Amino acid sequence: MKKVFATKLNAATIVLIPVCIGINYLGKLIASLLKLPLWLDSIGTCIGAVLGGPVIGGLCGAANNLIYGFTTGDSITLVYALTSLGIGVAVGIMARCDFMKSFVKAILSACVAGLTAVVISTPLNIIFWGGTTGNVWGDAVFAATQAAKLPVALGSFLDEVVVDVPDKLLTLIIVFLIIKALPKKLTSLYEAGTEVEKLD
Amino acid sequence: MPLSIEGKDYEESMVIRMKSISLYVDNGTYLTRMHPFTKLFYILTAVLTAVISGNLWVYAIFVGISSLALVSAGLFKKAVPLVVFSFTVLIVIFLIQGLFYYRNETPLLELGAVVFYREGVLYAVRIGLNILNMLFSFAIFVLSTKPQDLVEALERKGFSPRFGYVITSVFQIIPQMMGTMSTITDAQRSRGMETEGGLLVRARAFIPLISPVVMNSLTNTRERAIALEVRGFDSKERKTYLSEWKKQKSDTLLNIVFLIIIVGAIIWKIADVWIL
Repeated sequence: MKKVFATKLNAATIVLIPVCIGINYLGKLIASLLKLPLWLDSIGTCIGAVLGGPVIGGLCGAANNLIYGFTTGDSITLVYALTSLGIGVAVGIMARCDFMKSFVKAILSACVAGLTAVVISTPLNIIFWGGTTGNVWGDAVFAATQAAKLPVALGSFLDEVVVDVPDKLLTLIIVFLIIKALPKKLTSLYEAGTEVEKLD
Repeated sequence: MPLSIEGKDYEESMVIRMKSISLYVDNGTYLTRMHPFTKLFYILTAVLTAVISGNLWVYAIFVGISSLALVSAGLFKKAVPLVVFSFTVLIVIFLIQGLFYYRNETPLLELGAVVFYREGVLYAVRIGLNILNMLFSFAIFVLSTKPQDLVEALERKGFSPRFGYVITSVFQIIPQMMGTMSTITDAQRSRGMETEGGLLVRARAFIPLISPVVMNSLTNTRERAIALEVRGFDSKERKTYLSEWKKQKSDTLLNIVFLIIIVGAIIWKIADVWIL
């Protein structure tokens, strides 16, 4: 258990956080430029989590939403800082338990991340938006469940599942492909618990 | 803000070179001179007081106060796009809640077969006002506060300078990455990548666009980390500040007013519940 949460807080990992936040921003930007119906705004958080572990992942996620909320005026994202934190921690734990080593395992991690996001976001959606998510497909599902007189919580939950699980699946497939291609020289910078041999 | 050693020319050239993601408008009004914490405390007051009271009028009053503050500092025009982007979501909320809210009983408006209900519309108004209140009060902070000033104010209160670095460097890294991305987009397009067309075509364009930028910026982190370490980033010595911040009387006064409003709202609510 100790190994799962072990974290190096040196210059290398601190530098990783802003880069991951930048990657999140780019992912979201490209997704909106290509008019994809998904968010893809947590690629950076997941890369941070896989490289640095759950603590760095959670930090990336929370810092991401806090920084954007306080500087770009998108105050709604502030509320979802909790969701991002959850995604970062979940992916970090999965990665430290070797669940990012193969494609099939990465898909499993994606499902865990997606469900974590759903569980944290659903109550937030109900409190702040009355249940909707702001995504076309998800809100269509929500409208359908409400028309069928199903409870708000169930409708909102399904609304989130339809959006978040495919989103995290695609995100983690991208992350898996990127991490696999990174040079060992770089990834070893973030591995906690490794001994550095000194020559002096 | 008192100018630091980096003169104004240097700062301006930086602004031109990098299109910042921050929305800060340096127009020198009283809002830009106000301490960041005072503006943060205003957000807290606006959001908390409205939620505690639960009265729709309180929401509306705070939206009004925020708009007035924005107008008085000449920032209202800049705030409009921030608010407008939430309108589509607000319309969706009105439609869904007005039509399908589970407590819907009394019809309000009938358009053929479509019936809007009173309860749902009221619920949607509440959500809408809450969101507008948040957006407007945040707009004041966002438009009149320089991110670096916020980081410095936080560090003076004991916030870790390492995380202060994280915040400031986000603002440097994103414009850099955007630059790399536009280069890569051009390169991929010239190789015949299609970015327009059906969903599958657009989805396929995502990976060749993002992965080179990501790889590039991740490999750069190694060098940046070494550069920082060489400059004593990991040193435990206390850091000093470049600029001085003069404490203003108006900040203290406003903070007291905000505190009175919040406490007043709590007392009012308690009295309200108790008497009923």
